[in-house]
Amino acid sequence: MARVYNWQLGREMSYWYPESRPKKQFAAVFDTNKCIACQTCTLACKTTWTSGKGQEYMLFNNVETKPYGSYPLAYDVKLLNMIEAGKWSGKTYEGQTIFESAPAGERVMGWRPEQVDYSYPNTGEDDCSGQVDHGALMQLPHMNWFFYLARICNHCTYPACLASCPRGSIYKRPEDGIVLVDQGRCRGYQECVRGCPYKKVFFNPMTGTSEKCIACFPKIEQGLQPQCFVNCIGKIRMAGFLNTPDKARADNPLDYLVHIKKVALPLFPQYGLEPNVYYIPPVHVPASFNRQLFGPGADAAVETYKSARKDMDLAGLLCLFGCSESLMTRWKRTGDIVVGMDDSGTQLVRVPISEPVHVRTSFDPVQKLVRINCP
Amino acid sequence: MRRRKLIVLPALVVLLFVAGCKKAPVQTTEVIAVAAAQLPSSPTDAAWDNVPEYLAKLIPQDLVEPRLAQASTPEVRVQAITNGTDVAFRLRWLDSEQNDTAKPGSFVDACAVQVPTKLMPNPPAPQMGEAGGGVQIVYWRADWQAWVNGREDNIKSIYPNAEVTHYPFQAQSLEKGSPEQKEMAKRYAPADAVGNRRQSPRQSPVESLLAEGPGTLASNPAVAVKGSGVRTQDGWAVMMVRPLPEGLAPKKRTSVAFAVWQGSNKEGGARKMRSGWAPLAVEEKKP
Ligand code: SF4
Ligand code: SF4
Repeated sequence: MARVYNWQLGREMSYWYPESRPKKQFAAVFDTNKCIACQTCTLACKTTWTSGKGQEYMLFNNVETKPYGSYPLAYDVKLLNMIEAGKWSGKTYEGQTIFESAPAGERVMGWRPEQVDYSYPNTGEDDCSGQVDHGALMQLPHMNWFFYLARICNHCTYPACLASCPRGSIYKRPEDGIVLVDQGRCRGYQECVRGCPYKKVFFNPMTGTSEKCIACFPKIEQGLQPQCFVNCIGKIRMAGFLNTPDKARADNPLDYLVHIKKVALPLFPQYGLEPNVYYIPPVHVPASFNRQLFGPGADAAVETYKSARKDMDLAGLLCLFGCSESLMTRWKRTGDIVVGMDDSGTQLVRVPISEPVHVRTSFDPVQKLVRINCP
Repeated sequence: MRRRKLIVLPALVVLLFVAGCKKAPVQTTEVIAVAAAQLPSSPTDAAWDNVPEYLAKLIPQDLVEPRLAQASTPEVRVQAITNGTDVAFRLRWLDSEQNDTAKPGSFVDACAVQVPTKLMPNPPAPQMGEAGGGVQIVYWRADWQAWVNGREDNIKSIYPNAEVTHYPFQAQSLEKGSPEQKEMAKRYAPADAVGNRRQSPRQSPVESLLAEGPGTLASNPAVAVKGSGVRTQDGWAVMMVRPLPEGLAPKKRTSVAFAVWQGSNKEGGARKMRSGWAPLAVEEKKP
């Protein structure tokens, strides 16, 4: 094993291969507070990539209701138990990653889902964290909670799927960091399925190879965002490229959210993969739960997000989510207007931060009639 | 009455003894390809009955990760017959559970025969060879056998209760069997689209492979192979046919090694039981 630097853990760690970062790293920010679990993203992906024989159960994109929902069943808690994760000292992770806790004879600490684990994709759907007693419905904040967690492959900097394959059939593209299974080389050993902690590689029983989210790379190559991003009803997603913290640029939307504002955090950083999908944590969830999912930065991220109203830059950038099919790799705000741009600085989209407000009175003097308005 | 029973009993014992002898071929210390006018037609062909048998002890693959935590299949019984140009191997091993469906979390029974690419005084590393010391492999899989035996090319053959309302290649605008329809099916079968047919439908239950060390396994169209496997009462009997290793002739030796995967133990790829090299000889043609 090699020693590599994982900035999400604030330390070096062991990995199967030496550190070799791509020229650019595909990354994304998901705002969990805006997801409505409509599953449009899931279907956008399904119809685009996984409608074939043997792909019936595959969900390259899924949305699960936390705390109980998961696909495959208990993918998260099973592994958390196995690595006894959770020991942080400030921003430095002191526990073991899945690479460091690999037992003798294994490449990573992992587990392989059984058929039954894929049989209940909606378990936990709309289940909240406890019973709601009579009369408790009108209280705010709610004493019970749930939230929607949309998930795709994280196109990890240190992919466990790639490390697990004894044949080297999985590769990380040097040009954009997208992680792919070479469909000509895979022999269907299912080691990647076992190794990926997020369970985002799926074995296809009709082709005999493993398949995974490809970040819609044909679209990325054309400067477009993937299908699950552009079809998102809640406009919770933004795709782009992320630099390492030392090279963060304020005019790169993802760098700004992840490195500068630190409002978007990786999912289960303690596994050690440096995943590249970043989440704005839900604001109404117990801090300890957020910390387990998103690491020690969760409390501060929630506070930053809550005060976005007072922070025109942050509020402005959040307004760019879901506003263009194009990849917005640069952005700027001027007054009440926020602009999404490509690498050359060409404007792709222009959005007002606050929409004009029109108040309609209940009595219409022109028509001389009383409107039945919603309050 | 009583006396007749007494006579019948020893006769039965003798008969059983003779039958028992027939089932246990001579054991050898090397794999000897017995000369015959023609190769057996199947792993159950009577031609195998009198062929000496080599008992290959199996140990877990222990060179690279991932490995088996514990040993499984302890041994495989090997026989070989040659017609002078090709050699047929029969591998038999015990496996109480038939595993012939590869699906998420499920693995298949399989076996392989490996020989060095060239006759050499010292064979290369026994586990998949090494750089400059390549090995040729014939690989058989139980699920491929099932497809060849007629398993249907649809998801119901794997999940009998599956219900699928529509696939894109079933669109009304696509004529059944037309190139357009096939193209549409391929769009959602990426491995098929690049010619890596690892599953249904297959013409052969075996595959010809080449390796120069772990992780280098590649298809080897230069060596034509065939084979078939059947489920026996207590395991598998698999016949694999390949050309006689180049240069192998009577009085010469090469090496041969074997591997077995037990699907019920979730074995596949590097998680397997394998033998060391055994000498492989060919019998002189009978006059
Ligand atoms: S999320 Fe899983 S499948 Fe995706 S790159 Fe990371 S380890 Fe691989
Ligand atoms: S489309 Fe957007 S809002 Fe709907 S479930 Fe997916 S991520 Fe959530």
